[in-house]
Amino acid sequence: MTFTRSLSALLAAAAASTLLAGSAFAADPIKIGVPVGLSGANSVVAPSVVQSAELAVAEINAKGGVLGRPLALEIADDASGAAGAQKAFDSLVFQKKVDVLISMETSAARNAALPIVTRGKVPYIYTSFYEGKSCSPFMYVNAWVPEQQVPPIVDYFAKEKMAKTFFLIGSDYAFGRGMLAFTKAYIEKTGGKVVGEEYLPMDGTDWTPIISKLKSAAPGALITSTAGGAPNVTLTKQLRASGVTLPYGNLAVDEGTAKGMGTDAEGIFLSASYVTGIDSAANKTFLGAMQKKFGADLKTPNDLSVPEYEAVYAYKAAVEKAGKTEASAVLKALADVAVDGPRGKIAMSQQHHAALTMYLGQVQADGGVKVIQSFPNVSAGQQCPNLKP
Amino acid sequence: MITLALDIITTAAILFIVAAGLLIVFGVMKIVNFAHASFITVGAYAALVTSRFGLPPAWAPFAAFLAGGLIGAATERLVVRRLYRRPLDAILATWGLGIVIGQLVTLAFGREVQFVPAPISGTLAAFGVDYSLYRLLLVPTALVIAGLFAGLLNGTRLGLSTRAVIMNENLAQGLGIDSARVRLITFGTGCGLAAVAGALITPLASVDPNMGLAWLIGAFMLVMVSGGSLLTLGLSCFVLGGLQVLASTFISPILGGLTIAVLAAVALRLRPQGFARA
Amino acid sequence: MPDLATVHDVAAPTSSSGSPRPLLRVAIAGLVAAAVIVVGPWVLDTYTVNILVRAFFVAIAALTVDVLWGVSGTLTFGQSAFFGIGGYALAIVFNQFGFGPGQAILALGAAVGATVVVAGLVGWLSFYPGSTALYASVISLVLPIVLVQILYSGGTFTGSSSGLVGFESFDLTLESWFRLSGLAVIATLVATSIALRSDAGRVLGAMRDNDERCTYLGIDTARVRIGLLVIAAVIAALAGFGYVGFGAVAAPENAGFVFGTQLVVMVALGGRGSLIGAVIGAVVIEVASAYLSSSLPFVWELIVGVAFVAVIVVLPGGLLGGLRDLGRAVRRRAAAAPAPVILRTSEQPDAAPERNAIVVEVAGLSKHFGSLSVLSKISFTARQGELVSLVGPNGAGKTTLIRCLADGRERSEGSVRIAGHSIGRLSADRIVGLGLGRKFQAASVFETLSVADCLRVARVRSERPSFFGTSPVLTLPAAARAVVESSGLVERLGDEAQFLSHGLKQALELAMVLALEPKVLLLDEPTAGLTHAERQRFAEILTGLVARERLCVLIIEHDLDFVRLISSRIIVLHQGRIALDGSVADVVNAPLVREIYTGRPASDACGVTP
Repeated sequence: MTFTRSLSALLAAAAASTLLAGSAFAADPIKIGVPVGLSGANSVVAPSVVQSAELAVAEINAKGGVLGRPLALEIADDASGAAGAQKAFDSLVFQKKVDVLISMETSAARNAALPIVTRGKVPYIYTSFYEGKSCSPFMYVNAWVPEQQVPPIVDYFAKEKMAKTFFLIGSDYAFGRGMLAFTKAYIEKTGGKVVGEEYLPMDGTDWTPIISKLKSAAPGALITSTAGGAPNVTLTKQLRASGVTLPYGNLAVDEGTAKGMGTDAEGIFLSASYVTGIDSAANKTFLGAMQKKFGADLKTPNDLSVPEYEAVYAYKAAVEKAGKTEASAVLKALADVAVDGPRGKIAMSQQHHAALTMYLGQVQADGGVKVIQSFPNVSAGQQCPNLKP
Repeated sequence: MITLALDIITTAAILFIVAAGLLIVFGVMKIVNFAHASFITVGAYAALVTSRFGLPPAWAPFAAFLAGGLIGAATERLVVRRLYRRPLDAILATWGLGIVIGQLVTLAFGREVQFVPAPISGTLAAFGVDYSLYRLLLVPTALVIAGLFAGLLNGTRLGLSTRAVIMNENLAQGLGIDSARVRLITFGTGCGLAAVAGALITPLASVDPNMGLAWLIGAFMLVMVSGGSLLTLGLSCFVLGGLQVLASTFISPILGGLTIAVLAAVALRLRPQGFARA
Repeated sequence: MPDLATVHDVAAPTSSSGSPRPLLRVAIAGLVAAAVIVVGPWVLDTYTVNILVRAFFVAIAALTVDVLWGVSGTLTFGQSAFFGIGGYALAIVFNQFGFGPGQAILALGAAVGATVVVAGLVGWLSFYPGSTALYASVISLVLPIVLVQILYSGGTFTGSSSGLVGFESFDLTLESWFRLSGLAVIATLVATSIALRSDAGRVLGAMRDNDERCTYLGIDTARVRIGLLVIAAVIAALAGFGYVGFGAVAAPENAGFVFGTQLVVMVALGGRGSLIGAVIGAVVIEVASAYLSSSLPFVWELIVGVAFVAVIVVLPGGLLGGLRDLGRAVRRRAAAAPAPVILRTSEQPDAAPERNAIVVEVAGLSKHFGSLSVLSKISFTARQGELVSLVGPNGAGKTTLIRCLADGRERSEGSVRIAGHSIGRLSADRIVGLGLGRKFQAASVFETLSVADCLRVARVRSERPSFFGTSPVLTLPAAARAVVESSGLVERLGDEAQFLSHGLKQALELAMVLALEPKVLLLDEPTAGLTHAERQRFAEILTGLVARERLCVLIIEHDLDFVRLISSRIIVLHQGRIALDGSVADVVNAPLVREIYTGRPASDACGVTP
């Protein structure tokens, strides 16, 4: 008799635990769409962005998901451009029917995607730094805008490097032109002079004539704003090959790309909201977790990938605050939640943008970035005054 | 001024190296190899592989030539051979081949942009300016390549057979020259040369599966204008490449990119057979 | 005495021309397809509908590529540029001026206007007498590249690398867009099918098969091609207009070279020349790549690439063509009832031509290539009713002389008058208009056209063909009809020209040239390869032409017996000069002729060095 009793007890326990385990994820997953530049100009940084998203999702799922539902990632390639973004967003919004879009993209891709986001009524957290003033009731931004990123570099060149004249080089698209327009205005406002401003199309690879112009203009400093990834690399390589040693501020480079450039990157000044050297407990935990999950395949976390990680957590917080995944509730909640992450405490409460701590750094010979100055809690300024908070 | 002149000369050298392989195929076989772009890419990835294996960078062009030559010979045998009577279809088939090769490279290496460290960095003080040493070295490289092929064509039996096939294939066959073998070797060499060009330009650009495409049109137009002569190719590279640099510098880099294509199209309208016998 | 019209029943045709009531079949197919489109949105899910709208617009562009390439033989990579012009016109106008009915009309006008100008320019650049197909392809390649660079340099006006977004566009529902684009594809397909199957459309096939022959039938092929390009460009631009109007994004990728090549790939895979193949190819590839590119991104493109290469090398008819061949082999078509071809004789021109007016006057004609002189100071006249044979050893310049007579741009110096008009520097097709007909040495006909259609194309100059249907009536002048009937071609009217024997092909070409009702006929070694019987018949035809129709015939020949038989006059050419010009009797026995042909000097050499 005891045998059957213990057997049935065992079976009951087994049944109960299966039921429990099953019910933990019996709900269907919340789908996060990640359209990103797997090919094209952004293909250098896209893998790091995907890794950030994967870590966030894995961590959240391990702790029970969001409202009892697991998160699932849907990755799509936007080819780093407008045409590809249309296709990727169409697929994610209308075919895969994602609940939210969280990604880093070129400005060309973002601009083409916004009408689709509006039509599909899906919340969109844009995690890439950009030229600012892109506004949509459906979009939140947790990365920097020029008001936060440019002043540190220009001020440093003017004060520490005694630069009175500046030469600007960029990729010819919304980000390149937007950043350099802001930079030019800021330089002139602070008493400097811009002696040259040159652009190449996003897919251009031959900077030779522009570099020749740079050399003949002999400015005090160089500031560049190319599309992230390949154009950054080709410009830097060709600059170094021509022996340019001016103070070189790069508005669009991240640590990962800088590492990939090798010795050519040494000496570049950058201004970012994230560097791997940030000395905080949250950052150290984050880096440890990334190392553990990806090991030798780890792509250096950088200013384009860490906001992705934090954005997933921001979404989690917003859904939990709203109590549901329904778009308008989530969008309302996103303005009110604050998330503690590797970059500190971040809330997208300034007209859908976020105040951030900025770091002025210089790339070292080993590819790492040394922090020269830090600026806590820099406001994003007036990005979308017409959007209700 | 000096910088401008050096820009022109080095640009001409780079264009020549990239276009030479296409010219060789067109001159001998009268078909346009639109897979040329993907062979440039193959060469660049060969350079990537040699650098990943830790081999000295000087080996890259040779590895590239080997890779390009073998793949080129294989494609001639399998595909191109059947298209000699249909030159427009040959353009299309080789374009399709280019897509296939590009996708295979992507499958093997991924879509991302990769970087090959420059074998030689730094500048040389030349004629009073500091100029990129690597770019300067491409000029003698171009001359060496030109010399090698001129020597091959004029100084060897294979070169003699090739010249015979160029002039009159039927007659050459009638005299016992294995024109099929000549075509195989020529196509393989042309593709190998494209790969070498790819390996040589990686230090100046990034490596991704579509990098060759940007060079294809320019190379194609230069070859059409040159009409089959290496010497004329050199001249065209110099003239059109020079105009491209001038346009990029003084008008805009975007319009500079157009110069070769537009001027070559106009030149061909005036002289459809190219300028080989000018 | 002019014959009554006679109806000839045609034996089982091997070509598709002349199949019964094509218009009806096409119309029915179109209506069925339209019904499917209208029902579509209720059956398909939103995402598929979305993709299909785009695919339909792309299919229209692919269709234009097929018309240019598959039907008329010009490989073009440039239709994407016109697609882009249409799309960007809409985007720029709506971006600058906002959205409204006035702006929409402006955008449409800008799209069409810009396209017509650019296409006209490109056509003028690509198609000119003496241009090659390769050059036209080169220009079509350069066009999208130039356009994209212009877009890149346009700053905020064109959106540069980012393209133009955020402008307000047509506010139709997705279902309406689906029906609009779907019906647009069907309408374009039906219209093109009808136009290309018509008598006028057949000229395009003729131009693809043999451009030179068309020129020498008096057709200004350059002008036809330019006109065709403009029409195709406008259709592609309207497709682009719709595409960007739907998506509200204009990106340089939609106008570029890569997209242009994708269109060619779609047409090749679907089946070039079949029209519906282009549409199917485009839709299949667009839909499949939308679904597969996220799950199997690299493998899908690899599959397309491999399929493309395989199709080009092995299956030129594309997948559709392969299926059709399979179907044909299985079904063994003899079913199509042969369409009757009614032969009619055209009326003789009113005024009987003067018995022997001078129709050919050549004075001081010379032709050199650099320092090499091929023809030197050739002068002679020829009259109606004369049959002049041009003889001389190889390399004497006979064919060059014919070329200089037929094409005003060939000669280096001297003058030529045909029927009293100087040919100046006129192109060959204009000289045909003066009354010259040229028959080539190698039978130059339209291989894939039926015999009847070849003759119809030859009559294009005299009677404007219809753009809508095919006429069963084939009107030929008496001389041409006589050739057709006496050679036996009359029994083969439905057969494709490529299946004719050599002798029949020669007869066909002669009939085609005679269909021009020329005053002067140039023949280049017409008896080469003919049997003795055929040669006899040919001699009778020629002498009949000269006697009855009062033609002037200039004939290059090597067969001296034939020459002696038929000629009224012989001109001997030697090393680019006229050595002798006289009657048959004078020339045939002259020792000079013997000397020229054998190379052995006669006892009294007259200025000819051995």
